[in-house]
Amino acid sequence: MNVTVEDLVFQRGRREVLSIPRLSFAPGRVTVLLGPNGSGKSTLLRLISGLDQQSGGTVKFDGSELGRRERTRLIAYAFQSAVFVAGTVRENMDLALRLRGVPVSEREPRISEAALACGIVHLLDRNAGHISGGEAQRANLARALALRAPLTLLDEPLSGLDTSGRRQLLHALPGILREFTATAVVVTHDREEAIRLADNLVILAEGSVRADGPKGEILSHPPDPECAELLGFAFIETGEGPFAVAPGALRTGNSGVCFALRVETVTNVGSHTDISGWIGATPVTVPSTGPVPVPGETVVVSADPRDVVRFRSE
Amino acid sequence: MEQLWSGLVEAISLIAHRDGELWDVTSRTIVVSGAATLLAMVVGVPVGYILARGHFRGRTLVLGLVNTGMGMPPVVVGLFVWLMLVRSGPFGSFELIYTKRAMVIAQFLIAAPMVVGFTSAAVQSLPEDLPDLLTVLGAGRLRTLWLLSREAHLGLLSAIMAGFGAVVSEVGASMTVGGNLQHSTRVLTTDIVTETGRGNIDRAIALGIILLAMTFLVNLLLTAVQQRTVRRRGG
Repeated sequence: MNVTVEDLVFQRGRREVLSIPRLSFAPGRVTVLLGPNGSGKSTLLRLISGLDQQSGGTVKFDGSELGRRERTRLIAYAFQSAVFVAGTVRENMDLALRLRGVPVSEREPRISEAALACGIVHLLDRNAGHISGGEAQRANLARALALRAPLTLLDEPLSGLDTSGRRQLLHALPGILREFTATAVVVTHDREEAIRLADNLVILAEGSVRADGPKGEILSHPPDPECAELLGFAFIETGEGPFAVAPGALRTGNSGVCFALRVETVTNVGSHTDISGWIGATPVTVPSTGPVPVPGETVVVSADPRDVVRFRSE
Repeated sequence: MEQLWSGLVEAISLIAHRDGELWDVTSRTIVVSGAATLLAMVVGVPVGYILARGHFRGRTLVLGLVNTGMGMPPVVVGLFVWLMLVRSGPFGSFELIYTKRAMVIAQFLIAAPMVVGFTSAAVQSLPEDLPDLLTVLGAGRLRTLWLLSREAHLGLLSAIMAGFGAVVSEVGASMTVGGNLQHSTRVLTTDIVTETGRGNIDRAIALGIILLAMTFLVNLLLTAVQQRTVRRRGG
């Protein structure tokens, strides 16, 4: 399903929360909306779903504007906070399928498939109100996936999970999305999640789109310093101007774009050594398997030129 | 104490002998107060829901009025309804004054703010995203209201208990708009006032005991339903 928004404006009172001249979500792809809190990501999902009404502009589904009831049949939406009606997880998933008019004979297989994918088979007969936050988040995701809707909207699907649960689900989620969704839009404020999940990336800040395109393009060429910062780039001020270095790109040695790192601490993390210190006024940590420097020493670190972006000073 | 005892004996005797007037008054009490409570539920639940979830100008004012209505003296409600329904009043042509319908209207106005207030509080205590969830899952407005009512039904049962308790025990409004006419508009509370005035204290006490027992039975039934749900949710 191709979803396109045009001249979309949403206001709360007199404040403009969102303004998007044009944005398209490619069919069959996972588009991640990345942005800081309050950037309008969740608002955009609510406008697409029809839960909120835009102040201006259009949202089109395969070229047509649809009413809320019509949209509802096409969309599966997992909110950031997992909400359930009274009953077991299975009953909640069954209710969702029943409200979509899925025949009884199809419901149980769909519930089982989604539960298996999200690792909640053991929770199906537990009271949904009594499971942990992380379990609830998985059940919330499973309920949305069981609908197998043409358009799936996921708002921060990994929030509320503990570190290991998040890591496991983040590892499995790209495959799950491929299996259960046609077109998916995922909201996150976490760059790692965005990088792992996205085919296409949309960066939102202060209610407007700052970058939109295939993930690889945006990661290698963030259009402005704010996008670069959201993507985890380190900003390094040198005599030659500001550089933005991609996360994880710095290595010890002098191949590529070189910087002088003043070492502050050296931490042995087992497989390698983390050298932390300052390049100018920027704190950085660089992994090293080579000779271990001492605090106070200055060492040369470098990054592949493809991982370094220079923005013109305004 | 002796009088209370003899009242209890009289109550048992009235019930045992299937006193015709007692059953007449008791059944009328149940019909009038039951109808008023039912009407209050039909109107009050959707209104309470809208007040809980709606975003419109004047919502706080309306909630304030509802909360004031919950403490409105029944006799004042009765006076207002009397002024509306009396032959020279704006609705006098309907000839409702001193009828059971007039009593139902008055009791409805007493119960409705309670049902609205309790419903509103019960719906507000539900997770904020629940109505949105039901909407995106595809539930229409009526179905959403039904599912939310099911979620909030502990609070809604409290609304029924509060509404029924308020109307079955009020005397001022029933007396004012019903006129306490024998075989027509006399209910348990107005009958108690009548019998006390006549000096038939034993009978008045007996009626009081029957009123209490009736109220207790209705509330026991509703409480049993409420608590069964609580146990099921806990399991």
